[in-house]
Parts: sequence; structure tokens; C-alpha cells
Amino acid sequence: MLVWTRSGKAIVWTAFAVVFGLLVLLPFLVVIAAAFAGSWNGVLPSDLTGEHLRQALSGDELASLSVSLQTAFMGGLLAVLFGTWGAMAAHGSRFARAADAMHHLPIAVPSVVVGLGLLVAFSRQPVLLNGTKWIVVIAHLVLMVAFSYGTVAAALQRVDPSYADVAASLGASPARVLWRVRLPMLLPAISSAAGLSVALSMGEVGATIMVYPASWRTLPVSIFALTDRGQTFVAAAEAVVLLATTVVLVLILDRLRGRAAER
Amino acid sequence: MTVQLEDVTVHFGRTCALEGFDLSVAARETVALLGPSGSGKSTALKAVAGFVRPTRGRIRLGGNDVTDLPPARRGIGVVVQQYALFPHLRVADNVAFGLRAARKPKAEVTRRVGEMLEMVGMASYGRRFPRELSGGQQQRVAIARALAIQPSVLLLDEPLAALDAQLRADMLGELQKLRREVPEIAIVYVTHDQSEALALADRIAVMRDARLVDIAPAAELYAAPPSAFTASFLGGANLLPVAMDEGGVTVAGAVIPGLKPEEGKSLLCIRPHAIRLEPPAAASAAAAGGEGVLGSEALGGAGALGGAELGGAELGSEALGGAAMGGAGARGAVEDAVEDAVRLVGRVVAAQWRGASSQVTCLVDGLAEVSVRVDVPAGRRVPEFGAGVVMVLPVEACSLVPAGVG
Repeated sequence: MLVWTRSGKAIVWTAFAVVFGLLVLLPFLVVIAAAFAGSWNGVLPSDLTGEHLRQALSGDELASLSVSLQTAFMGGLLAVLFGTWGAMAAHGSRFARAADAMHHLPIAVPSVVVGLGLLVAFSRQPVLLNGTKWIVVIAHLVLMVAFSYGTVAAALQRVDPSYADVAASLGASPARVLWRVRLPMLLPAISSAAGLSVALSMGEVGATIMVYPASWRTLPVSIFALTDRGQTFVAAAEAVVLLATTVVLVLILDRLRGRAAER
Repeated sequence: MTVQLEDVTVHFGRTCALEGFDLSVAARETVALLGPSGSGKSTALKAVAGFVRPTRGRIRLGGNDVTDLPPARRGIGVVVQQYALFPHLRVADNVAFGLRAARKPKAEVTRRVGEMLEMVGMASYGRRFPRELSGGQQQRVAIARALAIQPSVLLLDEPLAALDAQLRADMLGELQKLRREVPEIAIVYVTHDQSEALALADRIAVMRDARLVDIAPAAELYAAPPSAFTASFLGGANLLPVAMDEGGVTVAGAVIPGLKPEEGKSLLCIRPHAIRLEPPAAASAAAAGGEGVLGSEALGGAGALGGAELGGAELGSEALGGAAMGGAGARGAVEDAVEDAVRLVGRVVAAQWRGASSQVTCLVDGLAEVSVRVDVPAGRRVPEFGAGVVMVLPVEACSLVPAGVG
């Protein structure tokens, strides 16, 4: 603790509460309030209604939620697969630094540029993906693989290589060492990478907006479109749906991770 | 020979971790690889286990060349320093790991796991996870796991280094017991602790800077170290430069009676516990008996220190002479005269109390930069800091070793 006096602590806590409340909590509360507002002309919303939420959970908007979930699972889980694979392959090899740099490129490059790049690359034969859902999934995969790779690579740094050595000396084949020792020991990192990827994928806009076809519109893109058209209350209701879904997903994945980390 | 290493060399990039290493270990034999950190002892072990690939040389197990075989096909039991028990598996599953990898029938796995845990006294811990065990218990499980596959060779890499002192002493006893229970296998034991090596090993291989320095039966290596490095690393021997002429060997100007000069051996090796300390007064009496050469300082110091002050019972019976003592003094001086010993005059520069004994560090007059460590058993008086003393070096405890790097 840097602050020792009672009054000093009070000041620090108050400052924290003001900053946190204004910058983090208030926008959330406003979005939630707007989701249920019939109109908002005064300081507080009025004519509370569930109509926006009902709208956000029907027709095209519900389809958006489904699209978002599918994209997050496909993109996120593929990202975990490739990220884990990449991290394990690069670990200890002399290409580790190069692999680190390559995997972190999608974070360094703005997501809009990633989207544009995919659009340019896959709009023509031989690989024509533009207009299909796969270009969205690939965009998410590319963006999320960096986080998966980073999480798993960091965990690998901490795992003593002698576990794998000892397993091999006990007569286990490389495949057995991988499945019975190395992967189980990485499971906490892998599931935390999965949680991170899915959560980030659920909220991805930048690259998605560059590449999405009309038939595959994710929830954040819908929110953006609705806001753009001035339908702020419905957008807010969709935002609440997105928020709730993401929180539930992350909680479930965290629960799984908790089981894996139980050792 | 169960394990045979011929000219094994391991390079990691530009660093040389092991250079031209030869070793053979027979069945039923325990060989300790002893050396400071970075001496290549762990690398040698890893080469045998197959964890590192030698750049040169061959490794044979039971006559078969295994240099290019992966660890999984060598069938060697390995216990690493931090034990590496698989944290996600229960104790019983850890022990069963090797048996399941070999696809042994379920009943046999269960039976063997039970036997192994019984042997290391962990039978009731099978359902626990490794994190629920203490360091000593984890070590036993690691040994049970390594022995479950019935290896002909067991490699132990600093198995006691992670334990605290009391537990280390207990586990040393456990390992001796284990040795008797699996007499047919060959054990290679890597350690930096000379007491572990002396307690467990039939032969000790002393290593330094990626090379083998000396290898010999433990007792032989201790009694007559072939090199200066071995002498000081194994038992912390004192090494004093000697001069040689046709008459014999002299140290700091004092002739060592009965010690023959040997070609190329220019250091006198003596263990700290073999040296006795005497007050300068006793030395002066001995000098009167016609033995050794004394500096004038010792004679001068006698008055200041006072022989009687050091009159411990043990000292009195064997060494203390002179009129100041009275009683046993006269007889002591006579005995002393017949004992073959060399006496060196010096002063105390440090003393460390170690419970059962004290280690006193002395400087020898006439030997600049050489300090002599002396173990003084509890009960004997430890001279004060700065006090003048006479170090009595019995000739039967002295040997000559070559100077320079092993």
C-alpha cells in the first residue's frame, strides 16, 4: 500500500469511484436504460417498455445473434486450435521469435486493414470467399489467433520441459506425451485462450464491417447499422442482448477453466 | 557393463556441456557424478536418458548401442530434480503412467502400482494429487514411478537438492534402503553434495568444466585424492604448497617426516578433521624435543596466550607439554616426540561454530595466501580470533597431490 492515512485512503477510493463510475459504469447503465426507454427527453428515460428488447430478439436481429454466436465459436475455436498448435510448434525452436512476431501481426495491424486485406485477397478466383460467411470467420480467426497464441505461449514458458522428458523416459510415444501430459498441463491456458477469443470475437466490428455479406451480419454490425439509422433504442436493446450473451459465454468458459485449473 | 559411455560429447550451440566423457556402470553398482554446477554432470545424465543427443560418442545399454534411440525406447528410470510428477494425475496414475504406455493388462498395472507404492511407503496415498504431498513424499512417488517400468538403470538427478536439511538426511537413509531392495539395477546418481555421494555411491566420478576429473571407489578417492580439485571438492581438503629436495618434503620450511617426494605432486593434502590445534606453548615443548622447525613468533606468543589456558582434557593427554601445565604435561611431551607429525605456526583468522564442531581458519606463517581449515570437535577449546596457534599435521593423514587443474 502506498497510502497509509485514513483520509488519504478515502480520497483515493473516492477518486477511483468517480473515474470508474463515469467512464465504465455510467455508459453501461445508460445503454441498459435506453434499451427499456420508450422515449428519453428529460434527465431520465420515460415510458419504460420491453418492446425494444422484443424487437431485438426477433426476426433479423435474432438471426444476427445466431450469426454472432456461430462466428465466435467457429472463429474463436479455430483460433485456439491454430494458436495452440503454433505456440507448441514454435516453443523452443529457433524460429520462436519469428513466430511470435508473425502471430502478433494481426494485433499490430488495425482490424480495418485486416478486413480490407482479406477482401482484396479473396474477392477473386482461385479462392473466392467474398460474399460467404467464411470470409467473416476467417477475419475473426486471423484476429483472435494472436491472443490464443500469446496465452498458450506464455503458459508454455512456465511449464518445465522435464515433464515431457520424464513421460518419454517412461516409454510414452510422442503422441501419448502430447495427449496425456503436454495438452492436459496446458488445459487452463487453452481454455482461457478460448474464453478470450470468443469474448473478443463477439464484439469484433472493425474487420467484420469490411467483409460481411448481407446474409451474415453479426450482432455488433447490426448495432452499428441501427445506430447509424437513428434507431438508438433498439440498438441499445441489442447491445444489452450482446452484453448478456457474452457475459454468460465467458462465465461458462471460465467455469470450464476452473475445473481444468483444479490441480 | 549395464551403462557405457564412450567419448560422449555434448554441445549446446557454442557452449560445450560435456567433453569426451567415458563412464561405465555395472549392474548392482551405484556411481555418483559429483561436481559443482555447470560441471556437465546433469548433461551426462540427460545423454544417458536420451533427453539430449550427443554431438559425438556412443552410449550403450547392456551392450546395445542406444545413442540414436529416443528416450521412450531406452527403458531407463529417471527421477529429475523437481520430480516432475504429472500434476493432473493422481499418485497411482502417475506410477501407472509407464505401465499404461507399455499397454500392460489392467490387473497387472494395478498390482504393480500397489507393489511400488508399498515399497516406497506411500500405499495409502494413491488417490492423492501430487500437490497434496510434501517434498519427500513427492520424491518417493517419483522413484516408484521410475521403478515401476522395471528398468535396468535408474538415473537420479539431484534427488535431494529440493529438500530441507533434516528431510535430506532422512531421505538419504531411504535411498540406502531402496538400494538394498533393488540390488540388481545400476544407479547413476548426480549430486553436488559430497556427503550424498560418499553415503550412497560405490564409485564416485568427480566432474569439472564439462570433463571427468577422477573416478575411483569412494573410499579410495577420499583417502588418496588423485587431483587437487578432487581433494578440495570431496571433503574440503586443505592444500598446502610443498618444496621438495633430496632430503624429503618440506612445507613452510618444516620437514614432513617420512613422506617421500613424488614427481609432479607439489601440494600437501590434509583433511580439516585430521589437523589438531595446539597453543604455542605446547609447540615450544615439542620443539625442545627436537622435531619440526618453528618460527620465532610462536615462542614469543607462548607467553601471551598461556599454555594452561588451552588445557582441555583431550589436549592435555596427547599434546600439551611444558612446565606451565604440570601433571600430565611431562608425559605428553614424551609421547609427542615419538608421533610423526609436522607442526606449522600461524594465527587464527576466522572461526565458525557448526554445532558438533567448529571450523577454524588459520594462516600459516611463511605461506602467504594459503589458509588452513581445521575442524575442532565440540568440547575442545576454540582459539580466539587473531590468536597464535600451532597446527599439528599427523603424517599418516598427509598425502601429496599434483597441483593445477585436475
